[in-house]
Amino acid sequence: MDFESNYDIAASAQFIHTHNFTRVALQFPDNLLKDSTRVVTALRKRLQSLKEIDATESGHETDVGLFVMADTAYGSCCVDEVGASHINADCVIHYGHTCFSPTTTLPSFFVFGKASICIADCVESMSKYALTNSKPIMVVFGLEYAHSMQQIKEALLESSVSCRFDPKPDVHFADFPSSVMFPSKDIKKIKGLQEPASGCNDENGTTYSIGGLTWKLPEGQSMDDYLLFWIGLDDSAFANVVLTFNTCEIVRYDANENQVVTDLFQQRRILKRRYYLVERAKDANIVGILVGTLGVAGYLHIINQMKELITAAGKKAYTLVMGRPNPAKLANFPECDVFLYVSCAQTALLDSKEYLAPVITPFEAMIAFNRGSQWTGAYVMEFRDLINLPQMEVGDQEEEARFSFLKGGYIEDFENQENLSENVGEEREVLALVNATEKALQLRNNSNALMKGNARSGAEFLANRSYQGLNMPSDNASPEPYLIGRRGRASGYEDEKNKQT
Amino acid sequence: MVKFTAEELRRIMDYKHNIRNMSVIAHVDHGKSTLTDSLVAAAGIIAQEVAGDVRMTDTRADEAERGITIKSTGISLYYEMTDESLKNYKGERNGNEYLINLIDSPGHVDFSSEVTAALRITDGALVVVDCVEGVCVQTETVLRQALGERIRPVLTVNKMDRCFLELQVDGEEAYQTFQRVIENANVIMATYEDPLLGDVQVYPEKGTVAFSAGLHGWAFTLTNFAKMYASKFGVDESKMMERLWGENFFDPATKKWTSKNTGSATCKRGFVQFCYEPIKQIINTCMNDQKDKLWPMLQKLGVTMKSDEKDLMGKALMKRVMQTWLPASTALLEMMIFHLPSPSTAQKYRVENLYEGPLDDQYAASIRACDPEGPLMLYVSKMIPASDKGRFFAFGRVFSGKVSTGLKVRIMGPNYVPGEKKDLYVKSVQRTVIWMGKRQETVEDVPCGNTVALVGLDQFITKNATLTNEKEVDAHPIRAMKFSVSPVVRVAVQCKVASDLPKLVEGLKRLAKSDPMVVCTIEESGEHIVAGAGELHLEICLKDLQDDFMGGAEIIKSDPVVSFRETVLERSCRTVMSKSPNKHNRLYMEARPMEDGLAEAIDDGKIGPRDDPKVRSKILSEEYGWDKDLAKKIWCFGPETTGPNMVVDMCKGVQYLNEIKDSVVAGFQWASKEGALAEENMRAICFEVCDVVLHADAIHRGGGQIIPTARRVFYASQLTAKPRLLEPVYLVEIQAPEQALGGIYSVLNQKRGHVFEEMQRPGTPLYNIKAYLPVIESFGFSSTLRAATSGQAFPQCVFDHWDMMSSDPLEAGSQASQLVTDIRKRKGLKEQMTPLAEFEDKL
Repeated sequence: MDFESNYDIAASAQFIHTHNFTRVALQFPDNLLKDSTRVVTALRKRLQSLKEIDATESGHETDVGLFVMADTAYGSCCVDEVGASHINADCVIHYGHTCFSPTTTLPSFFVFGKASICIADCVESMSKYALTNSKPIMVVFGLEYAHSMQQIKEALLESSVSCRFDPKPDVHFADFPSSVMFPSKDIKKIKGLQEPASGCNDENGTTYSIGGLTWKLPEGQSMDDYLLFWIGLDDSAFANVVLTFNTCEIVRYDANENQVVTDLFQQRRILKRRYYLVERAKDANIVGILVGTLGVAGYLHIINQMKELITAAGKKAYTLVMGRPNPAKLANFPECDVFLYVSCAQTALLDSKEYLAPVITPFEAMIAFNRGSQWTGAYVMEFRDLINLPQMEVGDQEEEARFSFLKGGYIEDFENQENLSENVGEEREVLALVNATEKALQLRNNSNALMKGNARSGAEFLANRSYQGLNMPSDNASPEPYLIGRRGRASGYEDEKNKQT
Repeated sequence: MVKFTAEELRRIMDYKHNIRNMSVIAHVDHGKSTLTDSLVAAAGIIAQEVAGDVRMTDTRADEAERGITIKSTGISLYYEMTDESLKNYKGERNGNEYLINLIDSPGHVDFSSEVTAALRITDGALVVVDCVEGVCVQTETVLRQALGERIRPVLTVNKMDRCFLELQVDGEEAYQTFQRVIENANVIMATYEDPLLGDVQVYPEKGTVAFSAGLHGWAFTLTNFAKMYASKFGVDESKMMERLWGENFFDPATKKWTSKNTGSATCKRGFVQFCYEPIKQIINTCMNDQKDKLWPMLQKLGVTMKSDEKDLMGKALMKRVMQTWLPASTALLEMMIFHLPSPSTAQKYRVENLYEGPLDDQYAASIRACDPEGPLMLYVSKMIPASDKGRFFAFGRVFSGKVSTGLKVRIMGPNYVPGEKKDLYVKSVQRTVIWMGKRQETVEDVPCGNTVALVGLDQFITKNATLTNEKEVDAHPIRAMKFSVSPVVRVAVQCKVASDLPKLVEGLKRLAKSDPMVVCTIEESGEHIVAGAGELHLEICLKDLQDDFMGGAEIIKSDPVVSFRETVLERSCRTVMSKSPNKHNRLYMEARPMEDGLAEAIDDGKIGPRDDPKVRSKILSEEYGWDKDLAKKIWCFGPETTGPNMVVDMCKGVQYLNEIKDSVVAGFQWASKEGALAEENMRAICFEVCDVVLHADAIHRGGGQIIPTARRVFYASQLTAKPRLLEPVYLVEIQAPEQALGGIYSVLNQKRGHVFEEMQRPGTPLYNIKAYLPVIESFGFSSTLRAATSGQAFPQCVFDHWDMMSSDPLEAGSQASQLVTDIRKRKGLKEQMTPLAEFEDKL
């Protein structure tokens, strides 16, 4: 596929030109960074030519600054508005895979890229699949295949006509979004709570939207009546679809291999695994909120909402900003029993197998920390849906000790205890430090008390550690003699190298 | 025909000397419930006529259907003694009215947690032994448990009717059988000599052994007969009792007692002459319908029959006659009242076993004295599902003070630590109820020494708890019960309809509450797991779950799942090293297997993280040959900080080592919970930290760098030390006649089991076989065995130990590696194990 069309140079130049943007940030994910210079050159050339036409018409002339942004601090699928504001950009052009999360301040233009697909084969497997099933089919796809959807639709229509399929395959297509996104409209969407949740009713049906795709179902039908046909890779966007529509039957057409994958056992497992993580989270005392985005609209709202939720559940929350999380970073906070990752829908699912503590999404936190709420299998990923989520039905549960499926028994929550005497929670933290100092004066016969899940705040956790930081200077304040340290590199210091040989 | 009312009952509850709390214990199918029914019949809840046919204490439909008891059931009985029968009673008493709180317990080994719970709240036990089968495996187990709790036993030799009708053995042979049964029981009891409890062995001549036929509702002790003959011979009752048992022979021809059989044809043993033969005669006459002979005989015995009863024929007549002559209730109840302790007697010596706190505080004193005016001490031993779905009665025993409706109580759960707020609630009792088989009667209050059911506390009591008065903040809880079985058989359950998930969750909670032996957990993969003590136990639990706790919503259960353990065979072949993500820190480690018996010692709590390091190092150096200094350098145990694996610091002169200790410990808890092979728990591995290289700057050796690295190096050292799987193994005990042995051996062979003991029961054609059987092979074992032996062999399986599987899981195609792959598949992990190279780094 030729370079210009793959990177949508013409359209992006047109976008910049029509809105008179002067400082434009081009955001590349790591895997496309190698093409960035060529893109900039091509874009500049195209802008130049547009400008010339323009200049002849109006005589007005501006110079457009193009900036390449790489190595985004959070997921590369979201628009990095903070990065863009460093260079005072007035718009962002985002390349590559995107989660299509709404932005807060900057207008943006998305270049999805164009992945190749064998249309004939895709249509064939689609119609074959449609014929073997009685339910209508909804076609959803990765945005990198959006460019060929029109052709696929036509081809499908053609094939159904030519082959005279007796019952015409009932196939619907999801609409892909326009590549342009303006923040103002979307803010309204968030503030005016009446607008869409992932399924929203208006006069003539239900509108669904996920990862930028939208479609409408006629009234009286729900997604359970449809089969989902996904065209694209087994990536985070797909995982998002599988989780959100976990009651639908889903097949995936792999455009690289040209085959239909029906065995989605692994994806189904994800849901169960998430369920386990929710149970884990219920037992947590200390929750670390990881800020995983500074761009997705509504993230601040969610963080505040989560903080309230956690405090109301009698747990302790700490907010951590650390860029993209990895096991080593999170292990620096062993006091957290669970991490709550606030980020866009497609980066939020971290398989926490490698992590010391599980990482959950805001929706899961809502289930875990709202006492008495029950999970029926529905799953919500996007912020705007979460905010709109009706207050979880908390049945008139009588006060009861909570059952922990991890420990296999009833355990009591601290909140129950705290209800007995007010303000204990406030005092607790202060007391923890007092106790710690008290304990330090006592002889302890065992310091192995470090057990995850016992401490209720960072201070208490610290008090249980065997090592609590540098000791106060001892009496012997005279300077230590000067010593020569190790030399060489960490992979093997000089003295060690000698030992080895 | 209710003979008593709740008010009447409540009144005697105050007479603490006139109360007997007792449980009925025995091997499965020895006739506990049937015998209990005849007692219940006498106390008047059901009509006398149906006793023996309706099992009053089996309140569940499935119990009636299977003919086994599943849940223990408590019943309060009322019995009035005659002055005459009480004249020999030496102990304290208030009048002639007695209250017997009786608990019928299951005999199948899978439900022995129920027995444990029953024993805790009783003071005496009626041990039922089948006169033909004799003392069986489970009889032995429950007897041990009872004596461990300081429960005084009395024995009844049951199913006497089999001797007369089925086997038709003659008197002397029958005597020998009974004698052996009693001896066998006494052998077990003798090993539990306890100075406080005194002699716990049973003697027929002292009246602590009864002979009963539960099905026909009759029983006797030697006292009955001694009374009858004492006047005739003109001797003392107790003297007569002695003559009726043991080496005492009587020759009616000479009318002389001798201590040896004189050899004359008419010389017979006292027991045979005066007890066995008369009964045999009556039974035979009844069975042959020789009514003309029968009526005079009965008249001589002072038994009068009602006129309508006289028309009965054969077996029915025999039953009726025997019940009138030797009613089971009189013999058994009198035996209990005479020989089992009242709460006030029993609590004097049981307080040491019961109370966790100091034995000189007011609570201990009040328990010791069984003081109804003292502070409330109540132990809830089990939760009984109530008729309205989802609610439970808290069933237990008041050890001191009184519990009443509306009383505010402090609930101390099993995890309560005095002085802390953990697992502690203050709630009011909604209702106090006494339990009478199928009926519950509400009473105002219940004083100490009695069993009671409480309403309104079920949300705060998990499985058991200690209750005290609201203001008694310094009371310690009553010691938690120790169960003899553990939940080793697990199945994964899920609901058929996904939207039933909340129902399933709710149901599992209820299930966990209703049975102390069930553990409901969730796997890493998100599957709900129900664990039980055995196949039968699980089957019953799942049925309860579906029908009672989930309102019939359908569930799907997986095949039974067995959990394994990961261990190592040898010391690591080399010291392995892993680098931290920033490459600036290095951990060097080796793994080695623990010494024999050390893991078990940690399991039993003989060695643990909370020990005094000095004591611990003494045990380790003396019993397991550890270096004394090394024993002091144990960093931690794991998983869950108490498990049977450890980390030992072997480093010399490493800087900043104390700083990373917490991180290594955290990494160890993680790694030991999910081993490198199949993410099963590790067991009996000792990790030695050999050397550590750390970055000089504290920020570069923080938890983030060390915890993941420690985990990797633990895995690497495990994989280099010949990792092996451990599988759980049952101890199987089978009792069967000789001709079934062939079948038993072939089934055991086919199931990878091996027999290590085979013993013939003296005097019987029965063999006792003990074998080890891998738990994974045990599913369907009982039914296969029954099929192979045409129903003659009945196995009892109890978890015994972990056994190492000899094949190498790292060798492709081996049995262990196949197993590892299966486990990984089930858990949704990558089927291939992570190779060593990913855990280990090179310099």
